[in-house]
Amino acid sequence: MLLNFDKLGMWKWVLTGFSVLVALFLLVPILFIVALSFGSSQWLIFPPPGWTLRWYQELLADPRWLESALTSAKIAIIVTLCSVILGLLASFGLTRGRFAGRETLRALFLTPMIMPVVVLAVALYAFFLKIGLNGTLLGFVIAHLILALPFSIISIGNALDSFDRSIEDAAILCGAHPLEAKLRVTLPGIRHGLFAAAIFSFLVSWDEVVVAIFMASPTLQTLPVKIWATLRQDLTPVIAAASTLLVVFTVVLMIVAALLRKGFKS
Amino acid sequence: MTVPFLQIRGIRKEYGAVTAVDDVTLNVEKGEFLTFLGPSGSGKSTTLYILAGFENPTSGDILLEGKTLLQTPSHKRNIGMVFQRYTLFPHLSVGENIAFPLRVRRLPKAEIDEKVRRMLKLVRLEGYEDRMPAKMSGGQQQRVALARALAYDPPVLLMDEPLSALDKKLREEIQYEIRRIHQETSVTILYVTHDQEEALRLSDRIAVFSRGVIDQTGTGPELYANPATRFVAQFIGDSDFLKGVVAATSGGLADIHLGDETVVTGVPVHGKATAGGNAAVMLRPERINLSRTAGTDRAGIAATVNDITFLGNNTHVATVTSANEALSVRLPFGDTAINGLTTGEKVWITWDPATTHAFCD
Ligand SMILES: Nc1ncnc2c1ncn2[C@@H]1O[C@H](COP(=O)(O)OP(=O)(O)OP(=O)(O)O)[C@@H](O)[C@H]1O
Ligand SMILES: [Mg+2]
Repeated sequence: MLLNFDKLGMWKWVLTGFSVLVALFLLVPILFIVALSFGSSQWLIFPPPGWTLRWYQELLADPRWLESALTSAKIAIIVTLCSVILGLLASFGLTRGRFAGRETLRALFLTPMIMPVVVLAVALYAFFLKIGLNGTLLGFVIAHLILALPFSIISIGNALDSFDRSIEDAAILCGAHPLEAKLRVTLPGIRHGLFAAAIFSFLVSWDEVVVAIFMASPTLQTLPVKIWATLRQDLTPVIAAASTLLVVFTVVLMIVAALLRKGFKS
Repeated sequence: MTVPFLQIRGIRKEYGAVTAVDDVTLNVEKGEFLTFLGPSGSGKSTTLYILAGFENPTSGDILLEGKTLLQTPSHKRNIGMVFQRYTLFPHLSVGENIAFPLRVRRLPKAEIDEKVRRMLKLVRLEGYEDRMPAKMSGGQQQRVALARALAYDPPVLLMDEPLSALDKKLREEIQYEIRRIHQETSVTILYVTHDQEEALRLSDRIAVFSRGVIDQTGTGPELYANPATRFVAQFIGDSDFLKGVVAATSGGLADIHLGDETVVTGVPVHGKATAGGNAAVMLRPERINLSRTAGTDRAGIAATVNDITFLGNNTHVATVTSANEALSVRLPFGDTAINGLTTGEKVWITWDPATTHAFCD
């Protein structure tokens, strides 16, 4: 390592202090929202004059919140599956294939990541209007898949790049059909990449709001759309409660991911 | 005449403008240990990959027991291979790695267990069954890879520089293991290396590769005593070359002028030798003599001592000829010529012309 933390002397404390500030900068808004969700004031006043669970009660009492959460989950799970499978196939082509225009194709696959989401949303909206996919589950899935696929291709592509091709060759010489070798040796060998692709894809879809606003209909709403719509109608702390649950869910997901990754390593 | 066990017939492989392998022809006997020896980029691996079926030759054929292999896909060739890089399946234990080819073949479990046990014994890794590959040393991993490749009794085992990632001591240790395993299993082995010592230590025969071509095939002593090309002479053993001019040739022997005054007669000559043409005369440091007075009965040349290094069982004397060419002499311990020898001294170097070789371009 270029910099040895233990040998930095008093800079050690400067660095530690700076890191804490950055962490606070990132975390305070989230802690703020969590505090507000338990606050007794209707007007999202900080610091809260008192504490209550009322907003969580209201949240759970309204079936539309649960419904939108389930819609979000359904879309995110389908998107995750499609994204990992398509990402895997695309990565094989992009890392193993030898054809003209390979790098161009790779760049093309990654464009949704750098293109402004609004542009994509408007384009999809106009296109789906023509073929009648707006407000449908399929429309949601396609739209989110476009956003998730670049993350899949990057994670799986990196894993495949660092997986020694000779290992697959060894399996083939052992008598495994090339497809069997891929399934039984290469896939387990790149499972951390597949797993990262799944997590990223799920999260991209789960908390995506811009495209979802365009895709949504009064009967088909994802959780972020529901939060956004509620926010525009009345500024109730129920939103803070919903947001808190969303944060908790995401944190749990990340912890599970970290634990599983640790399991892969050993 | 019986059909050779493995025939490589006129194999060529081109990658665009690059010719990686150029008309390689070779017969291998059953149970033979044959090594491809050559510098980097000489086409050794490419030839091996064609045998394994990972590359298709541009032209040529490969026959195993008289039948062509080229139509058979890799996974049905039943060939074993140990790679240069570590190729154990990282998510499977040592035992599961060795069992993999047997599971793929759908053998009954009892038979698989028995075979895994025997293979672990063969490579002396009993008790490592449940170890994960990441927890093993490089040498151990290559031994497991060897066990995995031998588990299905392949007719031919390919090894592509399996020891090149290991340090010297471990390498020698595993070389002896490989020899022992070859003797115990009598599997036919094609081994690739660019280390001449490794090739000499392991092989029954060596095929010397140079720029996609096999320069010569033979046993170690054959290649050492009778190199067919200057390249082989350089690659097997140590050698120096003196520039000369062909004076006359007859029946594979030549008389060669070295410098102005010396003529060496009756030197075995290779290549296109014509009177007046250039020739390079090969001298092996350990096969030439050094004396302090000129003799007349043998071929000889004058030189000046440049450096003397004692190396235990022998002494290395670096000299320079009058034509300013470097010439090394290696004298066994106890050779009286060394006594009192000093740098800068003029000496006389002689040799038996029949033991040297001349190469013409
Ligand atoms: N896939 C490929 N595409 C283009 N050229 C290749 C390819 N594979 C090998 N070559 C070329 O073919 C030649 C022979 O390569 P090969 O790998 O057989 O050499 P080698 O004798 O095994 O060398 P090393 O000791 O470095 O492994 C080299 O010049 C190499 O650059
Ligand atoms: Mg090679």
